[in-house]
Amino acid sequence: MAQTPSRRTVLRGTLGATGASLLGGCRTEAAHELGHGAASPEPAVGLVPIIVEVNAKAHSVEVGADTSALELVRQQLGLRGAKLACGHGACGACTMLVDGAPVAGCLLPATSLQGRKLTTIEGVAGAGGLHPVQRAFMAEDALQCGYCTPGFVVEASAFYTRWRAEHGAKKPERDEVAAALAGHLCRCGAYENILQAVQRACAGDYEREVAAPPRHEARDKVTGAAQYTVDVQLPEQLEVAVLRSPHAHARVKRVDWAPALAMPGVAGAVDLMSGATVIRYVGQEICAVAATDARTAAAALGRIVVDYEVLPAVIGMAAARAPGAVHVYPTMSARRKASNHSEGPLLPESWDGNVRGPFSMFSHHAPKLRRALRSLRAEPARGTLVEATYTTQSQCHSCLEPHACVAHWQGDSLVVYLSTQAVSQISEDIAERWNLKESQVRVLAQHVGGGFGSKVTLGMEVVAAVELTRLTGKPVRVVLDRREELAVGGSRPAHETSVTIAAATDGELLGISATSRADGGAAVGSTSTLLMRVMYADAPKDLADYDVLTHAPPSKPFRGPGGPPAFWALEQAVDEAATRLLADPIALRRRWDPNPARRLLYDWVEGLPAWKDRAKPQHDRGRLRRGVGVAVAGWMYFAQPSSRVQVDVGPQGFVVSTACQDIGNGTRTVLARTVGERLGVAPANVEVRIGDSKLVRGPVSGGSRTTASIVPAAIDAAEQARKYLIEQAASVLGVRGTPGHGGIKHAGGLLPWAQVLAAAPPASFVGERRRDRGGWFFPPIVGGLAVGKYIAGALHVFEVEVDTRLGVVRTLRSFHGVAAGRIVAPVLARSQVLGGVAQGISYALYEERRLDPRSGLLLTGGLEDYRIAGISDVGESEVHFVEGGFDNAGGGGVGLAELVTLAPAAAIGNAIFDATGFRPRDLPIRPERVLAGMVPA
Amino acid sequence: MIDFLDFPMTREALLQIETGRSVRAGGTDLQDRRRLGLTSGPLVDLRDVPDLETIAVQAGVLQIGSRVRLASIAGDVAVAQQWPALATAAGELATPQIRNVATLGGNLLQSMRCWYFRRPGARCFQAGGNSCEARAGDHSQHACIDLGPCIAPHPSTMAVALLAYDAELELAGAASGEAWPIAALYGDGSDPARAHRLPPGNVLLTVKVPAPLANERSGFHRTSSRARGEWPIAEAVVRVVVTDGAIRFVRVAVGGVANVPLRLAAVEQRLLAQRPSEALLLDASSLAGEGTSSPPGAAHKLQILRATIHTALERALAPADPKDRP
Repeated sequence: MAQTPSRRTVLRGTLGATGASLLGGCRTEAAHELGHGAASPEPAVGLVPIIVEVNAKAHSVEVGADTSALELVRQQLGLRGAKLACGHGACGACTMLVDGAPVAGCLLPATSLQGRKLTTIEGVAGAGGLHPVQRAFMAEDALQCGYCTPGFVVEASAFYTRWRAEHGAKKPERDEVAAALAGHLCRCGAYENILQAVQRACAGDYEREVAAPPRHEARDKVTGAAQYTVDVQLPEQLEVAVLRSPHAHARVKRVDWAPALAMPGVAGAVDLMSGATVIRYVGQEICAVAATDARTAAAALGRIVVDYEVLPAVIGMAAARAPGAVHVYPTMSARRKASNHSEGPLLPESWDGNVRGPFSMFSHHAPKLRRALRSLRAEPARGTLVEATYTTQSQCHSCLEPHACVAHWQGDSLVVYLSTQAVSQISEDIAERWNLKESQVRVLAQHVGGGFGSKVTLGMEVVAAVELTRLTGKPVRVVLDRREELAVGGSRPAHETSVTIAAATDGELLGISATSRADGGAAVGSTSTLLMRVMYADAPKDLADYDVLTHAPPSKPFRGPGGPPAFWALEQAVDEAATRLLADPIALRRRWDPNPARRLLYDWVEGLPAWKDRAKPQHDRGRLRRGVGVAVAGWMYFAQPSSRVQVDVGPQGFVVSTACQDIGNGTRTVLARTVGERLGVAPANVEVRIGDSKLVRGPVSGGSRTTASIVPAAIDAAEQARKYLIEQAASVLGVRGTPGHGGIKHAGGLLPWAQVLAAAPPASFVGERRRDRGGWFFPPIVGGLAVGKYIAGALHVFEVEVDTRLGVVRTLRSFHGVAAGRIVAPVLARSQVLGGVAQGISYALYEERRLDPRSGLLLTGGLEDYRIAGISDVGESEVHFVEGGFDNAGGGGVGLAELVTLAPAAAIGNAIFDATGFRPRDLPIRPERVLAGMVPA
Repeated sequence: MIDFLDFPMTREALLQIETGRSVRAGGTDLQDRRRLGLTSGPLVDLRDVPDLETIAVQAGVLQIGSRVRLASIAGDVAVAQQWPALATAAGELATPQIRNVATLGGNLLQSMRCWYFRRPGARCFQAGGNSCEARAGDHSQHACIDLGPCIAPHPSTMAVALLAYDAELELAGAASGEAWPIAALYGDGSDPARAHRLPPGNVLLTVKVPAPLANERSGFHRTSSRARGEWPIAEAVVRVVVTDGAIRFVRVAVGGVANVPLRLAAVEQRLLAQRPSEALLLDASSLAGEGTSSPPGAAHKLQILRATIHTALERALAPADPKDRP
């Protein structure tokens, strides 16, 4: 083991509260026979023959009584574009057309298709090429991870047909399109561009083939050709069901899976507790079974006998902090098992019962600030104190593609398809855990249907798949269903944050004091108030983060961990200070904030009509009240210097490759553009290979680091290739020139690439990600992650309308300024911003994970109850990039994915205050909370 | 043909199938419950039963077959013109994909929506058990008008609209020929084991809606936190006739707030014979829920219910303008 802490040792805790040993395997047992046992006691269920025309081709098939249309197309017809995401008709990912009408394939009985015409995504394109809607989605970048895209495209194609029949080439209103797409969710938040795409397609803008799309792999995503881990289907593949604890706190005394193994079709079982006996949350994994199909595996779970000693559970922060509360981790050794929901290492902290902390390392002149606060409290007239406590809810990642893994052996090698944000790292983790050589492990992730931080570590789906494939000798697939995904797939902790801003009588900022308590379930690692260190950075800060342990699933890092709760409190406190100090909110921030990136944004917003021409606070007095609010954010800049990118030149052309994954962030695009720019090749003509751990090492897609890590490495590799091509052109072909568009430009004209590549021997170049000019703020000694010397900035302006009778809040329009340096792929960067904003709106107004307060049972177990903002909920949004100012960063720019989701909630809160005089302090901003706020105190 | 799944081809054949079977129309509710393991066993599927999919107006009375899709109701010209709140309700509930498949009968006969019930391993009244887990737990999305042991909010939007329109049901089976006003399908909320009271062995054939009254106006409002595609916090369908400046006829039906769809007699009484005004609407809506109790965690819904009724009444009483449809 290396002397410096590696990512694996640092993140050991994240393998789960089961305390899995890295050296031993899990207890497993194979069934004696597979598929040929005695008939089960239930009556045989027969099949129904149907004839259905699918994508204009007749099929005669047999289906079960409960076979869904989705199962039919995916499993029997091999059409895997339509996706399973929620399984209960709420998300639209399974949408297909029956006689031209969109339906939810997951709920539709396949028997109802008898004699009907079914159109799936694979049948949307006509003989003459892509459908106008598909072209529009590609051109407008109306997608990110792509998992929801087939459903949206199918629905939109039906809308296009209906609309054009009635209106011809008239452009539909935004709300008309939104109404038609109301049955679809996009977790990445691509709504703005989806609306544009459909409006423009209907207006006739995409009747002809278009140029290459801004997103490199868009065509595969809009045609349903993109393959995700859930789409992998290998011969004789087994399906897995996981037995999970129904109790929040219990001791497992005995597990008897023999009755399950005796069922026909069941191949084997694996223990997932690794010798531990304590359950700490509802949904915790106990064991898993593999069977010939998913229904059999699920039925097998019902046969497993488990003896539990049920123990008292603490659900929610108040219960965990109450005197006499049961301790989630009662001993020192137990505490070491707590998993880590931050993106960095866990430092030792003190514990008191269920409270861990404080983590105060980022305080700055705290004693001075405490003195100032004491004196202000004694003599309030000597300044201004703004104090309040803010709360936020648990938010589930709920990626539309759930956690999924397919593992199988090819000879001596273990091949693992995984929905992951960390292809290279996970392959190393797998090798270490199962004592394999790194060369024996291959992790593949061609397309990943969302991550947001929940797929960074080696999870139970991998453990179950690898153990069961080892046991059974067959490929094994593990896919979580939506309830499991919402239960254990990952969450952002709930927070209670107290913030105090102290200002002198002349408005000078004396300092900011903040304490936050985070309920991350059985996990620790809150890094929330510490983020305030990079805001208004000259002022003293007294910052403390605590973890409050509860018997709930462990949180995982979620896009900007600790951020949204911190900014929810901070930026509303600043807004409140502006009100109390009779200062303009931007002028006050300008006074307090030395950060150069945000100062550029203050300049920008002061010229923005929606801000500068806004009406006075609380100017509306009727039922519907409008207001405008602003909030700013900052985020660190991370990079992973171990990242490598390879460029190959040869007769086949140009290939850029790296192990890195694309979770919708645009990995393929930035690689193709970067290499293409330097070699004078159109990005569409650069072949991109990613998502394979056999390729050169890639970064984790977390901490907004992907672009900042791979672009400089791609530049390096491309520069090497460029030099080589110039040399080859000179030495082999006697042409001296420089690469330009299409080939080598020389005095006599252009030598086309085809000729150069035909003459020159094939060659490979590996580029590195060097340190920034001027160095790192914190070098990559922990987990390979370097902290760069810049703080990126974002500024959000929201216009809201509050219905003071019904309590409903609508975001009408919003404007987002981002200062993150040079933007490599402007269209995709804009999509990232819009997506982060959509997630911020959703966090502010709708999302909320709820557990039964006594049993810890997950109540919001589906996408009807766990409310993600829909296409009608996000309002028109505009994005403005202020480039420049990050010149020493490799590539001249830094990441922005997390930056842009930090402060939308605070801006909305400030807008609600502006509209009504009510300042919401608790998220989500539900209608009843708004109504309670309307009552005069 | 197999035993497990039956496709009767005639109404008579349908009635001969044993009563223990679940009946499947569109499947948008049933398949979810089967997936969760809340119900299982043999099915009878209505796919091939003829004559259940017509919308017609006969002697002024609207007749909707039980297998008519909600999207068809929403898009029907006659319904939109003469029973507009019915069309609006059918066109705004759930999502377009659901509306293209879900049937009127299925919507009226669907099971309860409660997060303690709609889960594998549910043990409550609706799942055959003898308790309500929501009462001692989180019932923030549930009934704010407590009528019986189960406090799930009744999920049928079409039932609310049909209640406001004084609809009647035509059944086939032992109960055929009996008069079944829509309210009888739901009862008073005292039975916690089912979401409706259709006697076993009977099939819903047709829903009949009387001719609209002269000059009647209607309003529908559904309050939810997201703009679309969401179960309501509260919803209201109202009908009024104003003659000589006063309200002569009124119906106020609400959903999402009790374990059955409800007509609010007290609100209706308050409005009758009065001249419409902002103060009247506010006062009348505030009577919703009076004299009943709320489970404490759902009490906040009462204000939203009253505001929803107020909004629906405003819509109904707004100046007649073809563009001003709810």
